Amino acid sequence: MRKVWAVVRREFLERVRTRWFLISTVLGPVFMIAITVLPTVLAARSGGTRSVAVVDQAGGSLGERLVAQLGTGNRFDAALVRVDSGSASSAQDSLTRLVRLKHLDGFLVVTPATVESGSAEYRGRNVSSLRDMALIESVIRQVVVVERLTRSGIDPALVQEAQSRIDLHTLRITKGGATGETGEATFALAYIVGFVLYMAIFLYAVNVMRSVIDEKQTRIIEVLVSSMRPFQLMLGKVIGVGGVGLFQFLIWGGAAALLFRYRQAVFTVLGVPPEQAAQIQLPPIGGDLVLLVIACFVLGYVLYSALFAVVGASVNTEAEAQQAQMPVTMLLVAAIMVFPMVLNDPSGSTAVAMGLIPYFSPIILPIRFATSEIPIDEVALSLAILAVSTLAVVWIAGRIYRVGILMYGKRPTFAEMLRWAREP
Amino acid sequence: MNHVQIVEIERITKRFAGHLAVSDLSLSVPRGVVFGLLGPNGAGKTTTIRMVMNIIIPDEGVVRLFGDGLGGRHHSARIGYLPEERGLYKKMRVHDVLTFLAEAKGVARASAARKADEWLERLDLASWRLRKVEELSKGMQQKVQFIATMLHEPELLILDEPFAGLDPINAQALKDVIVELSRAGSTIIFSTHQMDVAEKICDHVCIIAKGSKVLDGRLADVKQVHGGTHVAVAFDCGEDLALPVLRDRSLVAKADDYGPFAELALAEGASPHVLLERLVGSGARLRRFERVEPSLHRIFLDRVGAAGAEEVGHA
Repeated sequence: MRKVWAVVRREFLERVRTRWFLISTVLGPVFMIAITVLPTVLAARSGGTRSVAVVDQAGGSLGERLVAQLGTGNRFDAALVRVDSGSASSAQDSLTRLVRLKHLDGFLVVTPATVESGSAEYRGRNVSSLRDMALIESVIRQVVVVERLTRSGIDPALVQEAQSRIDLHTLRITKGGATGETGEATFALAYIVGFVLYMAIFLYAVNVMRSVIDEKQTRIIEVLVSSMRPFQLMLGKVIGVGGVGLFQFLIWGGAAALLFRYRQAVFTVLGVPPEQAAQIQLPPIGGDLVLLVIACFVLGYVLYSALFAVVGASVNTEAEAQQAQMPVTMLLVAAIMVFPMVLNDPSGSTAVAMGLIPYFSPIILPIRFATSEIPIDEVALSLAILAVSTLAVVWIAGRIYRVGILMYGKRPTFAEMLRWAREP
Repeated sequence: MNHVQIVEIERITKRFAGHLAVSDLSLSVPRGVVFGLLGPNGAGKTTTIRMVMNIIIPDEGVVRLFGDGLGGRHHSARIGYLPEERGLYKKMRVHDVLTFLAEAKGVARASAARKADEWLERLDLASWRLRKVEELSKGMQQKVQFIATMLHEPELLILDEPFAGLDPINAQALKDVIVELSRAGSTIIFSTHQMDVAEKICDHVCIIAKGSKVLDGRLADVKQVHGGTHVAVAFDCGEDLALPVLRDRSLVAKADDYGPFAELALAEGASPHVLLERLVGSGARLRRFERVEPSLHRIFLDRVGAAGAEEVGHA
């Protein structure tokens, strides 16, 4: 055991001392915040109101209604330009010029055809803002429906009332009743959990592979395996590198807890007004979720690091490893590929199946757990399957590793590796 | 504990993909000797050492260390092993590498750290203790490697081609350390194909070729058994005149010309006196005429001969 401990200690300390550890510990959360929060912030920030013109070639009340409707939100500042079909193109030219000069963000062209066939045209500087375009489209739809109904003789006031806005407020219900947790917050939480697990498992498992290759390349492996069993060495390596991962989680968790505790002070320093700070919604993170994430990281990391250790033992150089690690990397990537499907329907058959397969469950299971209520025995079954397969994979990997670390030259085929596993 | 035979190898055989690397080899190494494992490249020296070290398992046969069959790993704290292929963790600090490698062998951390400092002091590397290995010159890295092998003051040292790639200064330093450890009671096994080195420091030798033992025993005994009378001769001038004498097969069985002198193996029953008379009579001017023991080099060539030589290049 003392020998294993020596390896654990070396792997842990040598990593924690590096600049890489410092940078990833500091930048990890920054990066996570950047990819999850930034798009929302940017979308909200990008610009207050948009000034648009509505070019009405239709005559009638369509243009007026559009301007009024667009003005109801705070997003658009709309102006009406009435033209007849003769001067339409020259009006559009001068509006285009205004857009180019940035006096105008864009303009919407409605024609008699808009009411009949529902076609309209928007031209603007930025047409890729999905939110803005969706807003404009829904306004047009609404107004066109009103116009059509009015034309068929229905009282516009009645139509307007029937059109009153619906706001679906989503709340997650668990066994404990409604949680007060919103759909968006749940989504964000599940997304972060899945992504952090994927990154952590991948990065640390690849680290184990690098370490194996390093010992093989420097030939120090021969001294090591003359002092301890290859399995002891692999075990020490996996524990040591995994310890770095858990240590990093601990730092992040501690920092997050501190931030949360002293959030008022932080908001004051950042100059966030209190009423706005109160609006910031934090997804509630239960202790059971934290435990599950840690269990999934540990089991998933051990499973994948054993596989990556085999890759490391089967190659001679890092360059060869790039290619050899493909099959293992693909397994992890597959988990990320079904990610959106699981988020959309966490209780669907795909999600349930993927949550049971050991190669995917370390990532899929916590996502399902964060987004929906899953029975505790299903969680237990998933974890049990994962734990048993991890043990089996580690055992087989250890046997291949044992032979591979002393082999140089031609890369072994899959069949050869299986033969090594069967050797006494 | 005080088992007389430190290493006992009994009829070990190892095959690699049909190729016979070591075949039915038996050896024993008594306590306190300097044991030379000699053979051409590809003879099976490294494979034998790896089996002793428990790195690979023999297909047949048994290896006993310190009188038991528990294997090299079990005894790693009592063994210092220097593999043929050298290497250290490049990114680690010198002192940390030494401490770790000793810990890996089962030495307690505190004692490993202290001994690392002592050895670094002794080999003039103390000021480098906190530098990374990759910052050291090649010669210094070799020294660090020796320290890693010997730090825990092992009872048994196994060195695979220790002199390969050493500059003369480090080679001398290593030779000194080996002699010193041997005096202190350590048993040392080393493999080499450099016969002159082996001849200087070995008590025991074992020559293997093509995976099998050719001869084995105390160096003095080997020389005696190899027998015959050997004479070293050198000429000032007139070597041509001596040629007919040297080619007389009833007198000289074999002649090795080393340039400055030649080593002659006399034919059976031939007397050195007769040879001296004939040489003087030939008119050549002798500078040296000396009865010598056969050199290890000579014995090696005689015994391994063409059979071993064809293995060269297969290594």
